[in-house]
Amino acid sequence: MAAVIGWRKKDFWWQSPVVFLEDPADAHRLVWDPFTIYSPVKFLLDWQERCNAKVGIFVKGCDSRGINRLLQDKRLERERVVVYGLPCGGKADAEKIRASFPAKEIKSVSLLGEQLVLAVGDKEERIAAEAYLLDKCLTCRHPNPVVYDQLVWEEVLPRQKADESRFARVQAVTSMASEERFAYWQRQFERCIRCFACRNTCPACNCRVCIFDQAEPRWLGKANDPADTLNYQIIRAFHVAGRCFECGECERICPAGVPLQEINRRLIKDMNEAYGDYEAGLDVTDQPPLGTYRGEDPAGFDES
Amino acid sequence: MKRIGVFICWCGSNIAGTLEIDKMVAAAKTMSGVVYVDQNKYTCSEIGQAMIRDAIKEYSLNRVVIAACSPRMHENTFRKTVVSAGLNPYYLEIANIREQCSWVHKDREAGTAKAISLIRTAVAKAAMNEALFAVEMPIIRRALVIGGGIAGIQAALDIADTGFEVDLVEREPSIGGRMAQLDKTFPTLDCSACILTPKMVDVAQHEKIKLYTYAEVEKVEGYLGNFTVTIRQKARSVDLQKCTGCGECLAKCPSKVASEFEEGLVQRRAIYTPFPQAVPNKPAIDRAHCRYFTSGKCKVCQKVCPAEAIDYAMEDLLLTNGYGAIVVATGFDIHKLNDYGEYAYGKHPDVLTSLEFERLLNASGPTGGKILRPSDGKAPETVAFIQCVGSRDKAKGNPYCAKVCCMYTAKHAILLSEKVPGSKAYVFYIDVRTAGKDYEEFYNRAYEECNAGYIKGNVSKVFPDGDKLLVRSVDVLSGALLELRVDMVVLAASVDARADAKELAKKLAITVNEHKFFTEAHPKLRPVDTQTAGIFLAGMCQGPKDIPETVAQASAAAVKVAAIFSKQSLLSNPIVAEIDQRLCSGDMSCMTVCPFNAISEQVVEERRGRETVSRKIAKVNAALCQGCGSCTVACRPGAINLKGFTDQQILAEVDAICL
Amino acid sequence: MPVTNEGFEPVIVAFCCNWCSYAGADLAGINRMSYSSNVRIIRVPCSSRVNPSFIIRAFQRGADGVLVTGCHPGDCHYHSGNFFTRRRLSVLKQLMEYLGIEPQRFQVRWISGSEGAKFAMVMNSVAEEIRRLGPNRKLRDVR
Repeated sequence: MAAVIGWRKKDFWWQSPVVFLEDPADAHRLVWDPFTIYSPVKFLLDWQERCNAKVGIFVKGCDSRGINRLLQDKRLERERVVVYGLPCGGKADAEKIRASFPAKEIKSVSLLGEQLVLAVGDKEERIAAEAYLLDKCLTCRHPNPVVYDQLVWEEVLPRQKADESRFARVQAVTSMASEERFAYWQRQFERCIRCFACRNTCPACNCRVCIFDQAEPRWLGKANDPADTLNYQIIRAFHVAGRCFECGECERICPAGVPLQEINRRLIKDMNEAYGDYEAGLDVTDQPPLGTYRGEDPAGFDES
Repeated sequence: MKRIGVFICWCGSNIAGTLEIDKMVAAAKTMSGVVYVDQNKYTCSEIGQAMIRDAIKEYSLNRVVIAACSPRMHENTFRKTVVSAGLNPYYLEIANIREQCSWVHKDREAGTAKAISLIRTAVAKAAMNEALFAVEMPIIRRALVIGGGIAGIQAALDIADTGFEVDLVEREPSIGGRMAQLDKTFPTLDCSACILTPKMVDVAQHEKIKLYTYAEVEKVEGYLGNFTVTIRQKARSVDLQKCTGCGECLAKCPSKVASEFEEGLVQRRAIYTPFPQAVPNKPAIDRAHCRYFTSGKCKVCQKVCPAEAIDYAMEDLLLTNGYGAIVVATGFDIHKLNDYGEYAYGKHPDVLTSLEFERLLNASGPTGGKILRPSDGKAPETVAFIQCVGSRDKAKGNPYCAKVCCMYTAKHAILLSEKVPGSKAYVFYIDVRTAGKDYEEFYNRAYEECNAGYIKGNVSKVFPDGDKLLVRSVDVLSGALLELRVDMVVLAASVDARADAKELAKKLAITVNEHKFFTEAHPKLRPVDTQTAGIFLAGMCQGPKDIPETVAQASAAAVKVAAIFSKQSLLSNPIVAEIDQRLCSGDMSCMTVCPFNAISEQVVEERRGRETVSRKIAKVNAALCQGCGSCTVACRPGAINLKGFTDQQILAEVDAICL
Repeated sequence: MPVTNEGFEPVIVAFCCNWCSYAGADLAGINRMSYSSNVRIIRVPCSSRVNPSFIIRAFQRGADGVLVTGCHPGDCHYHSGNFFTRRRLSVLKQLMEYLGIEPQRFQVRWISGSEGAKFAMVMNSVAEEIRRLGPNRKLRDVR
């Protein structure tokens, strides 16, 4: 392997960014802690373009479905990647920890079973982890990698409430009346600055030249026009429809706090109800719902 | 530098009568890219077309917009006009300001405003039109004719006589179709079998025709010039090479089942030939009713066969062949009379359909050609013929006229008078339709010479009265209520499309109307074409018609086929998808949705940072692509675009309308 | 609350497939059926050519309503085009409604080449629905 992609520890307790190690001697830099959150999967796209050698990559459950996404979209060759699967019990939300503990005094945070162990000042605090996990981890239904060459440790059980809570927020928004819903989304979208972090981090957004980056035709304008933001939000959601595997990175990474999972999951729910239950990123040979059809498909509109 | 010419048509008063042409001319002059605007009373006329040609040359126009009738009307005409002026035909754009504007909007001001908007949209699109070029495609010069009735037989013979090969596929064990069931044909009273069987034999013997009987079309793929068809040759259980047609097996077979050919009036054996003049005149085993196949016992036919031609182990064969054109000649069914209990059909043996009566008339039919009552075997002295049973009926049955019944009932009345001297026919009609050559004279013969009584009135009820039947009706012309005691009632049952016509349509990608008759490309001017290039229609499957019309259509379809085969090569459709290599990621979402398998993967080499790298992207086969554009939406980055309807053009049209 | 302006005439963009619905529109014309002039037709070879981006673009540029019409499922000239249209535009329509766009603004209808009367009726009813809804404010570009 020419390199291994994993996570390392940086200066602060909440920083465990992605690292590319090219020298086996650096292997000790790799870490696994409550903050090894960032999906390393999209870096594979750059790597593939730049060299022909194999690369190793460590993936959590959610990340592994990103690998399948790239494989199914023919953006990655399976032989070029050695996948190390890491079953994951959830990652911590630094904001939630900072809200409860004096941030400057925290020295380290680690996960032990269902407990978070914090070294705060001189003391050690042990707290139930669940309240401090990332929102996306609370609804995680696939903590174990679904594709790997080597499973590094034992599989974990999925979170008990994950299934029930999967569409809870979608249902809450749906239950609003139409005008109330429009006002809700206006408030969310007016914060969108079109930084495209969501698109950048999403493994389903893997086109060589993204439609939103094109100038001719100009599908999306440059100016911060609310209608154009709506254009972006609608088309982004539509382009990942049937391909999104709910890793939640888009919502987590959004600097403006736009609740993107409430949109992605709404489409998943609609398509499950109309075309049968389907989960993206589990089987690279299956057919995503918008790439297939049945003669008897229902329509979301009056067919008379 | 775009130099767009706009030509606004008056279409006589069709457009000029409702819209303000001068306002449209003035507005067009201001549109971006437009250098020339003119108007004409009849743009499609010689003068109109010459005007366009001259303007193109004089003003160096490189794009042409014609604001006139629907492109579905004259797009081809005007494409030829611009070609004659030296421009690629795809530099033409048409604004539909007639069918979709002047004919549907009453308000002059609103209509004119809309017309201007439509012209602006067409100008915006035309500005982006590029020259498009067709690709030459090879042609497989073999035709497939589906259906071996008179329509299919005639089409096959005509195509074969032009020198091209034909495969004729018929699902019954013999060709001949409905015409083989007829006794005599109107208006000549020609014996149907006598005029049909020579053609059947010609088909069997023609060196260019390959006959597949007891076979059906299973699957059709491909396109004009290059269809790939899978034919299921059903297992006859009789080896046609060995069988001599001696008929021993038929005589000894113990299983009996209602004969379809005889309309259920008598039975046939499980091993059977449908009728004596069958081509091929060799039997088939109806496995669903054969004792050996249903219960493992019997095998008598094999024992008595002197040629060892019985083969119970025979299996269906799937054959795949290539064809350049297909003619559909699958015929019709008689309307089922389940909803006509008021006429006692099915309840009383002497109430017959017209086709059943036809079988009685036929010398090789169940009664040897004698008209005899099924109840007691006696000849009927009075027969009531009830017209339009299941036809012209909006409440139940078919709303359309079945076309052939007035004539064949007149024929039945004439033949009845000949076969049963002294008999009397009563025809209960709504109208008598005799629109063919010598038809009116034939009908006159029925009531003038053969004493048929024609009563204008619907029959309300038929019921048994002793050993006769009582027919209750009204005579509309005199106003009197009638009750007639007759010996036999014949119902002129309507004509239905085949029950499985829709499935066949789906296989061929042609359409059916609400009554399951195949749809022709244009009801007046293209009666044998379908919307699918290379597939033609002949006969009743396209709509009710008589034998002369069927034969005419079959010959017409044959000419259409010959026209294709006579070309050196075919030109493909130039409106095809195209990949932008720069944008394509190679995810092949396009390939997944293409209905024509026109997309495949290819490896390309690119320069990247002073190195050459190779990667896989999509590739469009321009000969296979039919230009639907489904791929363009499946492709998220828009790397595949549709020539003639590009993303840029459609976005420009949207902008032109809204802004 | 929808704002109704007196005398407001909506602009409706209709994407019509060449083989069925465009032919149906022509038939309505041949039979001289009358319908409101608000609709502007863009001809496409198949309803599956209609990219959601076209629909959003129309709204952004100021269309008050967008209609996509195609052949009845099963009758597509290209076999399967409208099956994809059905799935794609169902997803889009449900998404837009979820985001608070009025359902009547974007509609999909199946109209065959022999349904001239249906074409006229749909144009009239869609125009009326959108007239009542008022101008498109939610999706329209500000600049």
